[in-house]
Amino acid sequence: MSILVAAFGFGLVSASVIALAAVGFTMQFGITNMINLAYGEVMIASAYVAYYVDQRGVSIWIAMLIGAAFGAVFSFLINRLIYAPFQRKGTSLLGMVIVSLAVSLMIANIMLPIVGYFPVSYNERFSTLLRFGAIALTVNQIAIFALAGAIMVAIHALLRYTRLGKAMRATAANPTLARNCGIPTQRVIDAVWLITGALCGLAGVVAALDSDSFTISSGAGFLITALAAAVLGGAGQPYGAMIGAVVIGLITEMSAAVWSPDYKQVVAFAILVVVMVLRPQGLLAKRGAAAAAG
Amino acid sequence: MNTYYAANLLIFAGVDIIACIALNLQFGVSGIVNFAFIVFQAAGAYTAAVLSMPPDTAADYSFQIYFGGFNLPFPIPWIGGAVAGALLAVPIGLIVLRNLRSDYQAIALLVTSIIANTVINNARPWLNGAAGLALVPRPLNPIEPVPDSYLYFYIGLTAVCVALVWFIAARIVNSPFGRTLRAMRDQELAATALGKNPVALKMTMFIVGGAIAGLSGAILVGFLTFWAPSTWLYPETVILFAAVIVGGRGNNLGAVLGALLVPVGLEEVTRLLNNYVNIGPPNFIPAMEWVLIGLFILGFLWFRPEGVRPEGHKVFPEGFESGVRVLGDRD
Repeated sequence: MSILVAAFGFGLVSASVIALAAVGFTMQFGITNMINLAYGEVMIASAYVAYYVDQRGVSIWIAMLIGAAFGAVFSFLINRLIYAPFQRKGTSLLGMVIVSLAVSLMIANIMLPIVGYFPVSYNERFSTLLRFGAIALTVNQIAIFALAGAIMVAIHALLRYTRLGKAMRATAANPTLARNCGIPTQRVIDAVWLITGALCGLAGVVAALDSDSFTISSGAGFLITALAAAVLGGAGQPYGAMIGAVVIGLITEMSAAVWSPDYKQVVAFAILVVVMVLRPQGLLAKRGAAAAAG
Repeated sequence: MNTYYAANLLIFAGVDIIACIALNLQFGVSGIVNFAFIVFQAAGAYTAAVLSMPPDTAADYSFQIYFGGFNLPFPIPWIGGAVAGALLAVPIGLIVLRNLRSDYQAIALLVTSIIANTVINNARPWLNGAAGLALVPRPLNPIEPVPDSYLYFYIGLTAVCVALVWFIAARIVNSPFGRTLRAMRDQELAATALGKNPVALKMTMFIVGGAIAGLSGAILVGFLTFWAPSTWLYPETVILFAAVIVGGRGNNLGAVLGALLVPVGLEEVTRLLNNYVNIGPPNFIPAMEWVLIGLFILGFLWFRPEGVRPEGHKVFPEGFESGVRVLGDRD
């Protein structure tokens, strides 16, 4: 029993990491209608940027901010230079999926000669272990948990209470109508790519920190868990992605505790299959994607 | 240029042509974005391997662990490979093609491809895990090292399969069934309104394409004599997509052209470059090959989405009247 309680603690940390990644992914999809398969590679690229900064002796928590900034700029540029022109040209949703897969492959292979195959890790990967009964977590893990919690509250506040958030929701619900109401949808979409890109970069650094060591090939795994959480919650729904992240984080860590950690992604995939068969629209089914409650 | 290199080139070309025709039937003709295509090739290869190999308790094979090991003679492993591809298409198709939107189908298949690779890579008892299967017997068990005559025989065998697959694909594309598929691809709602069942049509093409992909895997494993998870990572599917997009979606000649340009042409050029030119860090040229494949996809989708050889408009030879007459005759 205590192994499950311990796994519950890890599950919360996993859920935090997945939530950071999944919320960004699902907002890109909900507001800009783009299934961005390059998301995992942008995450890993940001993790490497933070790694090089970290190697210079800068604290990982500052490197994390630089990684997030890199993710924001990188995502913004990918959209401006590649996705947006293709979308303007009228490429179908399916065509855009192929485009983003090609972009993903290109990012990974441009990075490969630079970073190499070998796994790397941050200087701060070890930190003090704190015990709460059966749950033992490191200071890093608690910081990740707190950080993710704070970011989720911030996203909620952004979507619910700010003009930008309302404009985002309007753009997600109906871009043409939003434009006709005087919302500068182009600038809103730029803002979305910057914000979700920052989330993506942050999630990449956090995921890399949480997994001790990482390689160039970790990107695919990052993408799958984010995708699973987003689809589970209902693609395009930030709150759904948060719920999905908690479910997937807890289930994968518990299964890793009782079964084998090699199959974490397989369990996430199994959840994905069940959702696709039984409830393809996700847990929070609502048309109009990123519409927040109320 | 020695015989072995020529045989290598021709057999790889044959396998890529078969794979591209199959992917074209699914992606180009029916509009199914099968990002898990390579899994079906892998299923065919693994099946052909375990059907032709002796049990893993045999003297030379005891360093590997795998199920099966049936030691069956030549044509059966290849047929088995095709059947395995078709059978695998049934459950995956039932999950993915029934009630998901088309872009969801694509990502579901991509995830399937990554996960299938992870599972086979980590689970050693089934198919020897990451190390893969080695010493797969060649068809008709020739003496090793194989004589040139056997290489010619294998090229001929591959050519026969290419011809067979071409014939089947041509029959499908040019038949009323092929017209229905194209109608579904272009206007799924309209085709449904005319009483066509898109799920059944997609399932059919998923299974046909799976069988052909399985055959291509069987041919490949018989020549390579080994098969491992690292040979069927998901980017391999992307190469085939690049081939079909570059060659021209929706027509078989375009698929063949694409196979010759991208997987065969591009890979040979980079291999030669890698042998004779020394620039950048190790693996720089192979990595740049992937970047180039990505650029091919983006470039063609942007500048020439119809590919090198476009599908062409299907019209009745003598105008609308003859079309009405032909259709009238059919009823």
